Amino acid sequence: MASEEYRIGVYVCECGPNIADAVDIDRVIEEISPLPGVAVVKRHKLFCSGEGKEFLKQDIIDENITHVVVAACSPKDHEATFAGVCKEAGINPYLYQIVNIREGCAWIIKDKEAATKKAISYIRAGVSRVGYHVPLEQLELDSVPDVLVIGGGIAGIEAALSLASPIRKVYLIEKTETLGGTAAKLAGLLPYQGEGPGAIKSKIDAVGENENIEVYLESEVEKALGFFGNFEISIRPHEGDPVELNVGAIVVATGFSNYDPAEDKKWGYGKVDNVFTALDIEEQISSGEIKKSKTAPKKVALIHCVGRDEVGYCSGICCNYLFKIANNLKETFKDANITHFYRDLCVPNKNDEAFFNNLKEKGIEFVRADVSGVSKGKSGIEVAYTDESGEKGSLDVDMVILAPAVKPGEDTERIAEMLDITIDETGFFEEEHLLLGPVNTAVDGVYIVGCAQGPRNIPDTISQSNAAAGAILSRLIPGQKLLPEVKVSEVLESLCTGCQTCVNVCSYGAASYDENKGVSVINEAICRGCGNCVGSCPSGAIRSKHFTETQLHQEVIEALLS
Amino acid sequence: MADEFTPNIVGFLCNWCSYGGADRAGSSKLDIPPSISVVRVMCSSRVDPSLVLNSLLWGADGVLVAGCHPGDCHYKEGNYFTRRRFAQLEKVLESLGLDPERVELAWVSASEGQRYADVVNDFTEKIKSLGPNPLKKTPY
Repeated sequence: MASEEYRIGVYVCECGPNIADAVDIDRVIEEISPLPGVAVVKRHKLFCSGEGKEFLKQDIIDENITHVVVAACSPKDHEATFAGVCKEAGINPYLYQIVNIREGCAWIIKDKEAATKKAISYIRAGVSRVGYHVPLEQLELDSVPDVLVIGGGIAGIEAALSLASPIRKVYLIEKTETLGGTAAKLAGLLPYQGEGPGAIKSKIDAVGENENIEVYLESEVEKALGFFGNFEISIRPHEGDPVELNVGAIVVATGFSNYDPAEDKKWGYGKVDNVFTALDIEEQISSGEIKKSKTAPKKVALIHCVGRDEVGYCSGICCNYLFKIANNLKETFKDANITHFYRDLCVPNKNDEAFFNNLKEKGIEFVRADVSGVSKGKSGIEVAYTDESGEKGSLDVDMVILAPAVKPGEDTERIAEMLDITIDETGFFEEEHLLLGPVNTAVDGVYIVGCAQGPRNIPDTISQSNAAAGAILSRLIPGQKLLPEVKVSEVLESLCTGCQTCVNVCSYGAASYDENKGVSVINEAICRGCGNCVGSCPSGAIRSKHFTETQLHQEVIEALLS
Repeated sequence: MADEFTPNIVGFLCNWCSYGGADRAGSSKLDIPPSISVVRVMCSSRVDPSLVLNSLLWGADGVLVAGCHPGDCHYKEGNYFTRRRFAQLEKVLESLGLDPERVELAWVSASEGQRYADVVNDFTEKIKSLGPNPLKKTPY
């Protein structure tokens, strides 16, 4: 049947003088025309112009072209342009190949004879390849606009408030019985000690008043399956039956835990009276308990960097919150002597240094030293240290406040495994790219914000929550279809031995193992089409669409023939 | 004058970085020898070792595989897999009696036009010194 014949149309773009001057196009036409399957070879001065596109479209129709090769610029410039023209002309856009004879030939080979030969070779490869192309279809998937937020601390609250709207429901899942997380326990917010609990409380109230946010307290996410636009979620309340939800994106805002100073005897924590962590003190200040104690503290030591060596990084927020606590104590107990023991100071933000200088003016002391032990002394607590010059010293105090390192949240590993996202060497969730994708993860549609991603203060947390919310709002639009990658991998079941190498190498969790069939399966909605599974498959059982072994082989053969 | 040996090199370039680097070399109008024939793949990890072997068996004098710099892979970690497969491939080549020097793995980013030109020129010189692929046979 005539309609089943190959009628390959080859269109050579002059690109103004860019290609025409460097390549003998007439000779190209002469050599390409007799190739099997080639119906026409035509040239145009600029195929990407309106007139050029119209010419291409009309010629495909008039000449009953079945496969198209456009020899022009880099695919990065106009691959999509001519795919669009093919579509308009009624040809599946995957029955077309762009051949780069500008950047890949005309612009780099100065000898016209050599450049012409190279152009012919590349176009032959394109013609050869396009003969093995098959039509591919763009999948269209329904998307769910709703979002799951895991963690009801300030990070999760902020994300939920930014995302919730009459067209988008937010499910906010919190493990404990209250919203607010650590921020709600603080005695004041940095850097100016604003109302603290009050400021957080107004956010919590806003969540309660928002009818588009559904809060699940004392609940945990148990299962999450799917992909961006369509995740199936199972929530397990601590009491009661599981709840099934459908969401399009997930924000992980599970916060942090603290290094436990009781792990090392030297901090005296849990053994010596009046040795507290910063959070203990925050709660005492918040509740007013600290003022009720019978004897007001007269000498206080604040110790920085507790557990820093163990975790292997600077938490970056402790100096500032210890300054805040020192200031607070100084205001409450005017006669108290307050001494900081620090190794390094981390005072990075625009207002912090002024605050720090102000503390020094108030008479708060700063000693650069390594604290070697906190123990019960003759009169109260003895803090032993070695100072910068290597000299040993000790200070008797009646209260010690420790700043323990910020560590990953307790559930980090479980959540990472459930969502198939990665953890970095510090134990926090790993971002897709430290610089360019700080709230994205390895899984499209799953975002990490706040201390779940690493130690950070409240303003930075809020920025991250809004960054993730913005990314979701711009991509997950109600009613809009999701258009997944077309050039994905597929498993040829008859060749698959079920070794699951592909499952192990896939960075996106797109490959899984079907136990019933004993073969691997690739979820086309998740696959990004890198072809790593193809490169790794020992039995050649995976084909990457549009980059098949046969198609690439044609290019290789033509390169070596000519 | 005796014909100078012009090597035939197949270059598998990843779409995101190295192909971009080749484009940059093109738009900067750098000199790239016609010895290289570029085959675009989405990721260097797509390059099945058999593609490299096939190219050599079909007569390529050299095969270049180029991807994003380690840590910069568009697909997160594809190039790490490429690097590992390459280390194994070199052993396979030796066992087949092929000089592993005929295959080269390079990292070229999309902004590194000059680096792409250097990689191709250097590799071409190297292959010239190695001479034609002893396995060269006439296709078909």
